[in-house]
Amino acid sequence: MFGIPVEVLIMQVIFGLALGAIYVLLASGLSIIFGLLDVINFAHGTFYMLGAYAAFMATSLSGSFWVGVAASVVIVMLIGAMTEYFLLKPLYGEWPFYPLLLTFGFAVAVPDLMKALFGLIGKVVEYPEGLVGAFIWGGVLVPKYRLFIIIFTAVVMIALFLFLKRSDLGMIIRAATRDSLMVNVLGVNTSRIWTTGFALGVGLAALGGALHAPMVSAIPDMGVEMTVESFVVVVIGGLGSVGGAILGGLIIGQVVSFVSLFAGEYSQVAIFFAMAVILMVRPRGLFGEAGRL
Amino acid sequence: MKRILIAIVAMGLVLGMSGAALADGAVFGTAVPLTGPYAAMAEDMKKGSLMALEEINAAGGVMGKPAKVIVRDSMLKGDVALRHFKDMAGQGVKFIGGNLSGGISLVANEYACKNHLLYIAYCHTSLPLGKEFCGWGFTAAVIPYQTTAALANFAFNKLGKKWVSITADYRWGHDILGGWLVNSKKYGGEFLGNIYHPLGTRDFSTYIPKILALKPDFIVLSNYGTDQTSAIKQFAELGLTKKLPVVISKTHIVTIKETGKAYNENVYGSVTFYWGLQDKYPEAKKFVQKFWKKYGQPPSADGEAAYVATKSLFTAMNKTKTTTDVKKVIKELVTMKLHTPKGINRFRACDHVREQSVLVVQGKGAKAKGWDVATVVAEVPYTETLQSCENNKKDIPYGAVKLPGK
Repeated sequence: MFGIPVEVLIMQVIFGLALGAIYVLLASGLSIIFGLLDVINFAHGTFYMLGAYAAFMATSLSGSFWVGVAASVVIVMLIGAMTEYFLLKPLYGEWPFYPLLLTFGFAVAVPDLMKALFGLIGKVVEYPEGLVGAFIWGGVLVPKYRLFIIIFTAVVMIALFLFLKRSDLGMIIRAATRDSLMVNVLGVNTSRIWTTGFALGVGLAALGGALHAPMVSAIPDMGVEMTVESFVVVVIGGLGSVGGAILGGLIIGQVVSFVSLFAGEYSQVAIFFAMAVILMVRPRGLFGEAGRL
Repeated sequence: MKRILIAIVAMGLVLGMSGAALADGAVFGTAVPLTGPYAAMAEDMKKGSLMALEEINAAGGVMGKPAKVIVRDSMLKGDVALRHFKDMAGQGVKFIGGNLSGGISLVANEYACKNHLLYIAYCHTSLPLGKEFCGWGFTAAVIPYQTTAALANFAFNKLGKKWVSITADYRWGHDILGGWLVNSKKYGGEFLGNIYHPLGTRDFSTYIPKILALKPDFIVLSNYGTDQTSAIKQFAELGLTKKLPVVISKTHIVTIKETGKAYNENVYGSVTFYWGLQDKYPEAKKFVQKFWKKYGQPPSADGEAAYVATKSLFTAMNKTKTTTDVKKVIKELVTMKLHTPKGINRFRACDHVREQSVLVVQGKGAKAKGWDVATVVAEVPYTETLQSCENNKKDIPYGAVKLPGK
């Protein structure tokens, strides 16, 4: 195709899938939060950054990458739960822009706090043993860590899907996104559901940060662009739709990958171009219907 | 209405007073990107500049009064940097400096030219070339082509002839690529292709299949800050840096450190200062030890350039006994000896470039300990990297180079 060997194109697909997987993790978390709380979480990239730092700290202390990833998700979920409980909850029912402004302030203040605590020098999270390098499969170079990210994200998404569709808590969360007042009237403590949903959403962002950390190093400003790109993915998929976030993430991953192959300088702009094209065809995004999981 | 008028008058008085305070005495107004992908490097510049200020003031200041350095965050945006410079100039500041982007540096230089301010760039900049040079700008680091000249000699003689390039898509990256293309011809290199990437790119893996398909002897990486860190880490993830040498047009000690094991013995880069020079230059030893003690880390090339710029500027003001006559200070800067951590340097009179060497460093990978992260494999004197005044005036070598895709 265009004089490019098929092997190169397949590699490009693999790299695009891995990149898309990170977007999927972040965007699905963002979708859950928006769908459940109607909160546009401008601090989502900040939780992604906190995930990378938590992974760095836990990996350094334990010596295990896997412990680092697990610990980062738990730590950031706790931070998220506290943020929702102490900061966001008092603002529900007030002017709708208050929660948005709060998350915006959080996204400004926390990176500065991290700069004060950790400095500006990036923190190194090494690749896990056994996942460095690549293997050749049918003439195609397959990077081990990228393959792991693709498979792991797929497993996480299946687990999330089963949790939301099959578990009692998941069904309550879905019901609360449609009509939280009715769920409350039925005797469910929706306040706790909101906290759980927010923690789950930022936990997914943290997982994205922890998995991305070996590829980029952890720095305080790393979440800024990621927030914007996650929003693009969510808008493409349709606000509040986890399925849309997954599809949107995969599309953006492939767009970046293939634009990089032909015109690298436009790889970032292409994300916004793709969004514009999709919104022209489907103004509410691919699966767009606000408030649905 | 009365209250509003009082508030406006009070605000005017406060602003007026702060303006007067800003321009009072010897003031150096700088802007560096303290946020964004070059934040860690900008922080080093700030530290270097403030350490020079401290030394100047400890020695009696400028004309008996304490000197001042204003450091503002340009956020790596030309308009923000320009706004800061305009604001400072509006308050009487006549000496400006800083930067960490070749493009923004040229914008600052143009502003200095039009407003007759003295501008000192701490970063790589093409301001001494062709029509960019107007006589008001100084280069405390180097011209981008100088690092390519130093690295190309090493790369084409030791690593092979076939090369591909990954270049940040902005002015500095373009200048660097131009320098590589000129040197590739000179050393019989074979240019296989270039990939431009936007500033702030996090994922470089998507460029890897194309690079592998081209089968180069080495990769030239021309980006900086977190872009550079991500690129090397992702090359290493595939085991690429073990097989294929990577030559980095401008690297930084912080990048080497934060890249970790991935910055191995197969990764080379250029800097204008490395703390290991303390074994060679007595002045470097003094500078490194003082900086390390003060900030808990060794100085980088960016920190050293900011230090030299700040110290030279205030020294020139002291010698000329003026804090306002820009022309006099310029004249002094091009005649005086610069006492730098690399020994005596000079600003060349014809184009105001600091005459200094360029270092080629090699990563230590897993053998790195603390800040001992690289080995200096060559120190190339400026006589081998800096073109003549005439060539710089004619914008050579870039004048003759057609950049791919541009």
